[in-house]
Amino acid sequence: MRLTKYLLPFLLVLTFSILAGCTSSEQEKGKIASKAKTEEKMITVGWPLDVGPLNPHTYLPNQMTAQAMVYESLVEYNDDGTITPKLAESWDISEDKTAYTFHLRTDVKYSDGTAFNADNVIRNFDAVLANRDMHSWMGMVNHIVEVVKVDDSTIRLQLDEPYYPVLNELAFVRPFRFLGNNGFPEGDLTQDSIKAAIGTGPWVLTDYKKDEYALFSRNENYWGEKPLVDKIKVKIIPDSDSISLAFENEELDLIYGRGIISLDNYTYLKDSGKYQTATSEPLSTKALLFNTRSGPLAELNVRQAIQYAINKEQMVDSITHGTEKVANTLFWDAIPYTNIDLAPILYNPEKAQKLLDEAGWTLQKGEKIRSKNGQTLTLDLIYIATDAIQKPMAELMQGELAKIGVQLNIEGADVMVGLQKLMDDQVDINFWRTNGPPTDPHSFANESATPNASGVYEAKLGLPNAKEIDTKIHQLLVGTDEEERVQLYTDILSMFHDQALFYPISYETNNVIYQPYMKDFAPRASEYDIPYAQMNKEN
Amino acid sequence: MYESTWIFCLKRIFTLPFVLLGVSILTFVFIRFVPVEPAEVILRLARVAPTTEAIEALREELGTDKPFILQYLLWVKGVVKLDFGTSFVSKLPVAQELLAKLPATIELAITAFVLILALSIPLGIISALYKHSIIDKIIRFFTVMSVSLPTFWLGFILLYLFSLKFGIFPTNGKGTLAHLVLPAFTLALPTIGLFVQFIRSAIIEELQQPYVKYAQLRGLKNSDILIRHVWRNAAIPLTTLLGMTLGNLLGGAVIVEQVFSWPGLGRYLIESIINRDYPVVQCYVLMIACIYVLANLGTDVLHRLLDPHLMMKDRRD
Repeated sequence: MRLTKYLLPFLLVLTFSILAGCTSSEQEKGKIASKAKTEEKMITVGWPLDVGPLNPHTYLPNQMTAQAMVYESLVEYNDDGTITPKLAESWDISEDKTAYTFHLRTDVKYSDGTAFNADNVIRNFDAVLANRDMHSWMGMVNHIVEVVKVDDSTIRLQLDEPYYPVLNELAFVRPFRFLGNNGFPEGDLTQDSIKAAIGTGPWVLTDYKKDEYALFSRNENYWGEKPLVDKIKVKIIPDSDSISLAFENEELDLIYGRGIISLDNYTYLKDSGKYQTATSEPLSTKALLFNTRSGPLAELNVRQAIQYAINKEQMVDSITHGTEKVANTLFWDAIPYTNIDLAPILYNPEKAQKLLDEAGWTLQKGEKIRSKNGQTLTLDLIYIATDAIQKPMAELMQGELAKIGVQLNIEGADVMVGLQKLMDDQVDINFWRTNGPPTDPHSFANESATPNASGVYEAKLGLPNAKEIDTKIHQLLVGTDEEERVQLYTDILSMFHDQALFYPISYETNNVIYQPYMKDFAPRASEYDIPYAQMNKEN
Repeated sequence: MYESTWIFCLKRIFTLPFVLLGVSILTFVFIRFVPVEPAEVILRLARVAPTTEAIEALREELGTDKPFILQYLLWVKGVVKLDFGTSFVSKLPVAQELLAKLPATIELAITAFVLILALSIPLGIISALYKHSIIDKIIRFFTVMSVSLPTFWLGFILLYLFSLKFGIFPTNGKGTLAHLVLPAFTLALPTIGLFVQFIRSAIIEELQQPYVKYAQLRGLKNSDILIRHVWRNAAIPLTTLLGMTLGNLLGGAVIVEQVFSWPGLGRYLIESIINRDYPVVQCYVLMIACIYVLANLGTDVLHRLLDPHLMMKDRRD
């Protein structure tokens, strides 16, 4: 047919014109934009969620990493577990440990040029404490009686009883960080909203398109060491595979954090040899939490046998590609009070079998699963279905346990479903992780002794010494004697270890991968502090 | 003729509130089947230990402590006054947030729609005219492929090829025409495949009708026969499909928006489901249901205008 003579050329022209229309906007592409030799230096990073309203006193949807860029705390928690001055240049603690007096820096200005002083600090404390319920998870909030001004650059925090982790909690990214006076809304109701994100930190939000990007510029009023680059652009890319593609396409200068991209992608990028990589010191611990209330896990021998049966070293290495370190204790050494001598449970399948035999869980002829009094040794484990590490680990453990005659049923579920089921005594094992600095180990202790918090309280109810552990935890949090505290932590952690309540798997780290033109920097062992100020790139 | 179309429209619009009522009840019930309640999710995602006091305080604030029926009635009362509630997470009015994200999704869906029309009509016609030729086989191979590929996989393959290997398009974001091409194409491709096959068989069927032979005998030009008669008849059933497509494109944008970091409704929906942000999910479903119903109505009207038989039938009734 004649008409078809025209159709084909028409189609070709259409296709090419669409393509041509697009390639003409090549200049827009990040590849070229990021390489352009402009005088202004900008680092572009990908992040899965929008930075949020940058309210220093509230939680979701604020991203901690963004809050930490704009707002600062009175004191700073370091990777080695020490606490150093930040907005407070020094502090005194009263003898009865209930009054903390902070001497504020006098050279600090907010990004809008207004002064940082005692009045403003108190205004911030008052705004936070007006909403104690929301912050009640932070032990200190329940103990603060008042915060008063001593002079223009001194404030005093009065507690009702001693609570030793005050400084750690003040160092946390929220809610005790400081908003400039011009950022306060009417009535100082910061729990609802703020007027503007005005902080003392090294960065100021200068451009923002919700769900697309947030652009931070250097705070020219910054009191500390000035950042090396002018701008940080946080691009919002919800999908982790898309983040690694954008990085590979040079639209991003770096990927920073734990779980931002899958470890497979991380390894792929690392092995390509084209990029630089860095790994932080450990921040949190990945573990299994055993429900001791019912079923076979009520027995210590079974809990220990599981730990002996799994070749952890091989599992962690093969699944995390060496980005996580094998964990034999619940906390990494740099976490305060946790560097204690505990005998690690190392891979020993024979011993695992022996422990089960001793406990009466035996293999009948022709059977593959052990049983006792007619009950088979079957356990349920729930992992987060979307977690790229938990799933293969669960599968691997299923295989290892089958070798010693234990049937492990694994089930993938939505975030938090497993924990809920464990708290309701409906599942035997769940993946669990520590909170990480700066609130560990006291937040761990606190949660372990409080119902309905992290599942630990419920999981440990079957332990013979559960009550004793709770009592010691309470002593620990209100005690004033440092030596006694060290001893109490040692006791508590040893009891947990001896009772094999947890199966520590690996220490999680921040993984960083950056383009070759970026200068070296050291990643931090923090969930929220990204050292943007130390980052730089070649011209 | 017009009167009956008007009555037809009114009748259909009259059913809209009932559809929405049904949809809203189902959404209200189903979203509550998702395990773990909003108060706890919000606390945990904020890395706040969900103590009993904190959960209870938040439940009260969110209103999820009230009995289910009361929650629904309160919600309906709001909706009637066009108040769709506030987001549990952002604390902003839901309608405002959804409307802010709607244009991006519509932009994507309409571009995909235009691509579908621009590509599937010529390809379908070529495929039919050159039936069983090599060009037909190539086209059919690609259509089968495009229908069978999962969207997210297709998205990544396109990203890999056109961003990483050939460096033509950016991998993410929004703003220029270049940003729009890959997501729109990914969204359109499965439907293009479907349409090409549909158009191909419709045209082949029409070409076999006696009127084509008759027209040729009358000495009409082949192009005239194709455009005036064959295409017109073949296009009628296509209109029904088009209406459904627009709704599907809006709903199907969810995955595409995630892969290409497109700041539209779909991404917001995923986030809201993870956060158990009930008011957002409820309002979203209501909005999409409305669009579906109206798009279907539009198609039916178009269908009636193109196909006088239907109108005649109505009159006889």
